[in-house]
Amino acid sequence: MATSGNLTGALSSAQLTTPPSFPDHFLGFGLGLRVDHFQRILETKPKLDWFEVISENFMVAGGKPKYYLHAIRELYPMVMHGVSLSIGSTDPLNLDYLKKLKRLIDEVQPEWVSDHLCWTGAHQFNSHDLLPLPYNEGAICHVVDRIDRVQSMLGRPILMENVSSYLTYKESEMTEWQFLTEIARRSGCDILLDINNIYVSARNHGFYPHEYIQGIDRSKVKQFHLAGHSDYGDYVIDTHDHTVANSVWDLYRQALERFGWISTMIERDDNIPPLQELLQEVGCARAIAYDTLAPQISPQGDNSVELSGEHVVG
Amino acid sequence: MSLANTNLERLQAELMDYLRHDNTDVFSRIEAAGSVTIETRLNIYKNAYRMRLRETIDNDHPLLGIYLGDELFQEMVDAYIDTFPSKQVSLRHYADDLPVLLKRTEPFCHHPILAELAAFERLLLTSFDAANSPRLAQSDLQELAPEYWPGKVFKLHSSVQLFYSDWNSVESWQALKQECAPEAAREKKGAWLVWRNPERLTEFRPLDEEELALLQQLVLGHSFEQLCLVLAARNPGQDVTELASNYLKNWLQAGLIRK
Repeated sequence: MATSGNLTGALSSAQLTTPPSFPDHFLGFGLGLRVDHFQRILETKPKLDWFEVISENFMVAGGKPKYYLHAIRELYPMVMHGVSLSIGSTDPLNLDYLKKLKRLIDEVQPEWVSDHLCWTGAHQFNSHDLLPLPYNEGAICHVVDRIDRVQSMLGRPILMENVSSYLTYKESEMTEWQFLTEIARRSGCDILLDINNIYVSARNHGFYPHEYIQGIDRSKVKQFHLAGHSDYGDYVIDTHDHTVANSVWDLYRQALERFGWISTMIERDDNIPPLQELLQEVGCARAIAYDTLAPQISPQGDNSVELSGEHVVG
Repeated sequence: MSLANTNLERLQAELMDYLRHDNTDVFSRIEAAGSVTIETRLNIYKNAYRMRLRETIDNDHPLLGIYLGDELFQEMVDAYIDTFPSKQVSLRHYADDLPVLLKRTEPFCHHPILAELAAFERLLLTSFDAANSPRLAQSDLQELAPEYWPGKVFKLHSSVQLFYSDWNSVESWQALKQECAPEAAREKKGAWLVWRNPERLTEFRPLDEEELALLQQLVLGHSFEQLCLVLAARNPGQDVTELASNYLKNWLQAGLIRK
């Protein structure tokens, strides 16, 4: 595991009394792969444990996107993250999309595949947004049935991510975390927990984010997302165009305390800074995780290795 | 369909109706909570919907946007979003019908160069992410015995596109790309070759009548012998095999021919 390798180089043997014991599914600390950084990543091969790619960005026949995908995949583990599954839509599942997804999975061989617990369109019209579902038994049955079919088609369990939301339906009968946990339990899917989305939704709906984290089944969470948001005072919007807010870092600590070592990555989709800045943010996530879960071996050594940033490999 | 699914289907239809048509039926389904009104909450989604589609058109058509200017570009975007709601899974193909809108809709239809500019920019996108077919090299042909040359069919690389213009649209695109003012729109018939080179850069160049005729033969799947016949008709008394070989050599060097 790259994480423990970096650590060994950075700390004296005296400090390494109890190396952390990582769960099998722990990939370390990663970053969302974005076009702006393709060339820089190949040139500098930054110290990073893994990348997450947006599946739809690579559902093209060829050209630059595919070239960089394959070149970077040769260097790093990858996970695939989709935005178009529309698992909660009442439209039929899009089989053409699922075939393309399966082909891409075969190409990339990702560690796992995720999408969002939401719907993106209905009556064949696509909003290209992650729209919330009502949290009730009817929606659970509908979604569980569709996850079953998707998992059968892909031949693997998928991860479902909680989305940021700005409204609550009158027909909701339970909390979002009860809804998510129940769907994971019945469908066998795992959970990608977006810490920023929990914070955003908590502010927009007035619940306690700590309660959300405590309400999620510990055995189901396989990945964390961290991202920035825009705070408008009365409400907060999940914009992915800022650094991770302090309030979200605090919540990340709470999530680590509950779930332990979970593969964590930084998402940035707008106002994208130089790669080095995002690597530093990944370094912050790593430092917080060690500080929370293995304080005896973490702080400065490992973090300074990560924060030193990119290195050129011969 | 179960009752629960029927309810969910109705809810989803109503929310989509608000995003697309401002139909407020969905208001009665939303919980009023805190100081943020139901309308504000819904408008977060509605604004995001239109903004995302605008950004897509903006990213796909940067020079058309400059040609139109901010005000007309916004008018075009609004018309497109209202006329062509997305039925695409991926935003990559959302603006595929933009040339159609520009041909049909006031005031854009009075300026045919606009539809051409849009079509040209879409063709560049098509070439950009076309399939990675392996390219034929000059050395691959050394093993081809002379008797097989007449029947040999050369296939164009997946990224190759032919673009036909009736206006000075490509010249205007080039001027804007170089941050120069384009000439006034004027009728100008032309043909252009668009392709992605082996270094994955999208290129284009004008075609003269003869090369266009030859490339059209390749598009139709015709053989090397048929290329020679086209050249013979245009160049009586000349060694057309040598002429055809020269064209082929240039195409191979540019990476236009696939294995």
